[in-house]
Amino acid sequence: MSTASEHDKNVLKTVLKISGLMFSYATTGNDVNSWALHDLSLTVTEGEIVCILGASGCGKSTLLNVIAGLLPPGAGTIEFSNQSDAAGRIGYIFQNDALFPWRTVGENLLLASEITRTIPKADAGEKIKQHLQTFHLQEKVLRQYPSQLSGGMRQRVSIVQALMFNPELFLLDEPFSALDFYTKLKLEGEFVALVKEQRKAAVLVTHDIEEAVAMADRVLIMSKDGALIAEFQIQPEEGARSPDAARGTAKFAQYYQSIWAELKMVIGQ
Amino acid sequence: MSKSISAKSKNSRTWEYFLYPLPLVLFVVAWYLLTDNNPSRQFIFSSPQQVLSAFVRLSSSGELYRNAGVTIFEAVMGFLMGTTVGALLGLSLWYSRLVARIAQPYITAIATVPIFALAPIVIVWFGIGIFSKIMLAFLSTVAVAIVQSYQGAMSVEPRYLRLMQVVGATRWQTFRIVVMPSSWIWVVNAMKLNIGLALLGAFIGEFISAEEGLGYMIVKASGLYDMATVFVGIFALIVIALGLTAVVEQIERRILKWRV
Repeated sequence: MSTASEHDKNVLKTVLKISGLMFSYATTGNDVNSWALHDLSLTVTEGEIVCILGASGCGKSTLLNVIAGLLPPGAGTIEFSNQSDAAGRIGYIFQNDALFPWRTVGENLLLASEITRTIPKADAGEKIKQHLQTFHLQEKVLRQYPSQLSGGMRQRVSIVQALMFNPELFLLDEPFSALDFYTKLKLEGEFVALVKEQRKAAVLVTHDIEEAVAMADRVLIMSKDGALIAEFQIQPEEGARSPDAARGTAKFAQYYQSIWAELKMVIGQ
Repeated sequence: MSKSISAKSKNSRTWEYFLYPLPLVLFVVAWYLLTDNNPSRQFIFSSPQQVLSAFVRLSSSGELYRNAGVTIFEAVMGFLMGTTVGALLGLSLWYSRLVARIAQPYITAIATVPIFALAPIVIVWFGIGIFSKIMLAFLSTVAVAIVQSYQGAMSVEPRYLRLMQVVGATRWQTFRIVVMPSSWIWVVNAMKLNIGLALLGAFIGEFISAEEGLGYMIVKASGLYDMATVFVGIFALIVIALGLTAVVEQIERRILKWRV
């Protein structure tokens, strides 16, 4: 199994490659203790979901912001499909959706065609309809304002909005934490299917070990000083690939226990 | 259940409509009782009957509508100019924090100088005609619009700006797609505040030097101890302010219809 996985890695395209990444919020000095991200290296291939777990404030969201280009790295390199430019390659899903409340859902979804000017509006309309179907959203939502939708629907629309930019890499910052359990399970499943089918890549940050094990191909543990200190390859049982089905397996419980043991050491319990 | 809730809310609305004029009715009744058959009080406070007859006289001669029209024109023009220029300036300060910091004391200066102090200068510069009153209404409103819209531009939700940065939007796209529409609430608030200020600016101009307008009508009448006409002018100003506020509320409902 591991040989097959390694083989897959050799043929799959590397979407994100981070080497020796350092980041500090301090504007002066070079004190190693002030690094929020410390000598961090990570590779994510197409079709892969990597999840990062760690204590609050350890730098998980900072890592996503540095990858997205919202914060400048202090040292190290970040490459997106062998390119250094992140523009147009990333879909960032925040904990609270970033849909503009003054625009209808339809207008929010046309953002990509407005910004990039490469997608004609008619084509954008077709794409929107396809994506809405994928995420089980009815076309009538296009005329509604975000405030008229439930939390789960808003997060679905956010994912569709990001998809309209056709990103190679998704960055997800606790995207499902504010949702009820049932909606969360459904959305996790839909998102995993999307990444696998469309061969996207994703880096997911969460506090939820269950969510990490259910969705990710790899779970990485981040220490309090912003270094990646442990890695767990998640191999779900045959026929239990979906986050919902995986939760009922014996392997799931084993992964959960191992990761929780590692996390307890990091948190210092 | 829902039917009874809706019936209750309809009932409470009917009560509300009944209660709206109640303070005004109580005021007029008290005024009538205090001034009825009392010429010395009527000389100082006038009376509801005298105000009503002054209203009929000024209406039928057209004097009231002519003066009110002039004041409305001055106030609305000053309001539109002040709010538009102020909003554009305030929003554009989002582009440069340096320019915003440099502009800050100047905006504060414009906002804090009493319009009464500026009125004589403006009248000397622009004459005693309508244009000087429009300029006073403009000066009364522009600072509020700058401050409010700048606050709006600087209060944009950071996650909207982060999204625009991640998707590679230009600064102009971010300004047009996010900063401007999300600041509309603040601009509408500036509009609400500016109605009163625009009327005040126009009124002060007319009060100091003018040949027409409600301010002119009130000054002339008070010089003649014609308190009834003074009250008609004051009530006309109140009605104009309420009417303009209703217009702004309609605009607010259209612009901010997404706030459901």
